[in-house]
Amino acid sequence: MINIPILLIFLPVVTSILVYLFKWKHMNIVVLGSQLILTILAAIYFGHFYGQFEHTHLVLGGWDHRIGISLANDELSMSFIFLSIFTWWMVLAYTFKYGKTDHTFLFFLVFLQGVFLGLLQSNDLFNLFVFLELTTIIVTILIAYKKRGESFRAAIYYILLNTSGVLLFLIGIILIYFTFGTINIVYLHETLTPGDDTMVLRLSYILLMAGISVKSALFPVFTWLPKAHGAAQSAISALLSGLVVKGGIYLFFRMNFLYDNVGIHYGDFFYWVGALTAVVGVMFALSQKDIKQILAFHTVSQIGIIMMGLSSSDANTFYGGVLHTFNHAFFKSLLFLGAGVIIQVYRTKKVTEIRGVMRSMPVVSVFMIIGMLSITGAPFFNGFISKSIIKYGIEDSTIRYWILFAVNIGTATSFIKMSQIFFGPRTVSYPIKNMAQNFALFGFALGCITLGNFYIPFTESFFGIAYDQEFIHVGAFIDYAVTLGLGFMLYHFVISKDYKPIQNIRNFKLSFESANYVFIIYIVVMVTYFIWL
Amino acid sequence: MNPILTFIVILIGFYGLSTSDNIIKSVFCVTIIESGVILLFLNLGNFEGGAIPILNDHLVDIVDPLPQALMITTIVIGSTVTALSLMLCIKIFHHYGTVEWAEVLRREDVKS
Repeated sequence: MINIPILLIFLPVVTSILVYLFKWKHMNIVVLGSQLILTILAAIYFGHFYGQFEHTHLVLGGWDHRIGISLANDELSMSFIFLSIFTWWMVLAYTFKYGKTDHTFLFFLVFLQGVFLGLLQSNDLFNLFVFLELTTIIVTILIAYKKRGESFRAAIYYILLNTSGVLLFLIGIILIYFTFGTINIVYLHETLTPGDDTMVLRLSYILLMAGISVKSALFPVFTWLPKAHGAAQSAISALLSGLVVKGGIYLFFRMNFLYDNVGIHYGDFFYWVGALTAVVGVMFALSQKDIKQILAFHTVSQIGIIMMGLSSSDANTFYGGVLHTFNHAFFKSLLFLGAGVIIQVYRTKKVTEIRGVMRSMPVVSVFMIIGMLSITGAPFFNGFISKSIIKYGIEDSTIRYWILFAVNIGTATSFIKMSQIFFGPRTVSYPIKNMAQNFALFGFALGCITLGNFYIPFTESFFGIAYDQEFIHVGAFIDYAVTLGLGFMLYHFVISKDYKPIQNIRNFKLSFESANYVFIIYIVVMVTYFIWL
Repeated sequence: MNPILTFIVILIGFYGLSTSDNIIKSVFCVTIIESGVILLFLNLGNFEGGAIPILNDHLVDIVDPLPQALMITTIVIGSTVTALSLMLCIKIFHHYGTVEWAEVLRREDVKS
């Protein structure tokens, strides 16, 4: 029973190797079978250890627990495991036809799942590094998979920037190892006391956070994300935006739990980083015309909102941020997959050229509208719940409240812009009856609505927090209507006119050298904040 | 070797990353950073006159074996990253006819 985490890592890896070796026609059925076994194993494991996750600590190979490879789970990591298994189910369904013929693609897709589950369960810092690098490598291949010029450029931008970030993460691990003689997270959490607050420990914190910031695309170093997610295939974009970026966020709170006992106060710094990420992401999203670029920049801005929640010291707001990572995974994957179907039919990515989707593909349109309502925070949909929780948490500070409000208006504006694709006469016919694709969209849409209405049992069982406030009341509807109204005005009078400054923002590109320069400045700012202040 | 020196190697790598306009140079700068990190880790676990960490009858004054075990993994990962990046460089050269960051960006704008 305790060995199930190993199976969770190796089952997808072994399946993917079988796929690659035996290039059999019905290999995707085998993949779905192994996915089913994986789901059952995870459910059994969760049922067995529910309420006593401190016994899940597993050291491989009988080594000393301070230095050996170890795996451990808690409620939070289990919730992420279920989220990733669900996302992979849906992405495998979406690429069902494609996976029949292209076995190399299926190999990388399934392999990534094993690596990602390893990242979630790893309990020693060095294996975190190994899994982080492995995800980086496989994601690079998946980004470049379309074999087009822009996807190669996005891939090399991604791998070089992320590798330099992850190497800084490794230096942080080295400093921890030589201060405490262990790299086991559970053990470190018990050992660290406020007396350990030395310069070296703070430096290690900064380096770990620098690496995590690159992986999770925080404000100054987010430039790889829109390139990569815009250039990849839609199914891969959905996977990356919905889930793999959350690997960085997951490490963010894993590492901050680790440093909790030392008493390093990180909240304010990461609040402002998150706020800047949200505002800048929305600004860029408003200026874009490419449907996938819009969605990719919204991933950046939603990560900013998640960080605004996670940086709070109040448990309710913190778990609001965690809940938003889940909600974002559902609605952003839904939007990317829906956009993928639309691009496939219309053969263009320009928002201004796609018209009449409602007439030609009513089913896909309904799912897309559910995704849009969720991301803009409409009541009864999941984005509303987590945004409200974060909003209640930061209500005391006027400026913080208004930043979140401004970001919400920006989001509404940009999705009003995107919703223009639904109107207009029918221009193309949609002969492709791909039930598997519709099923994937349906799964994510169902997730959006379920989490939007029945979030309490979910948060109670996974985070141990019951939100007793009633979020849905008249004020919420008025709030949403005001946001939509302001967003519509902004769209109608500013964005649709496409003024010169908007074009300038759209054409702004940060070169690779400048991105690294900005990254160094970011580290210097962090050193200034955490060591001298 | 002093740990400060390894930090200087890492900083040279970052200097190269933020100034070089050639993609292949950027790949090598990442390799330089990685070498610096490996040197730092091995260096901190080492001491003057330490024996090789191989189990025998008289175990005295051996160096810490863990950094060496971990760094082998890092070297393997690093070589994978380098190989993959150089492959991408070749592909970029085939598509754009150049391996300069700015030039690639310019030719992409011309194409679209």
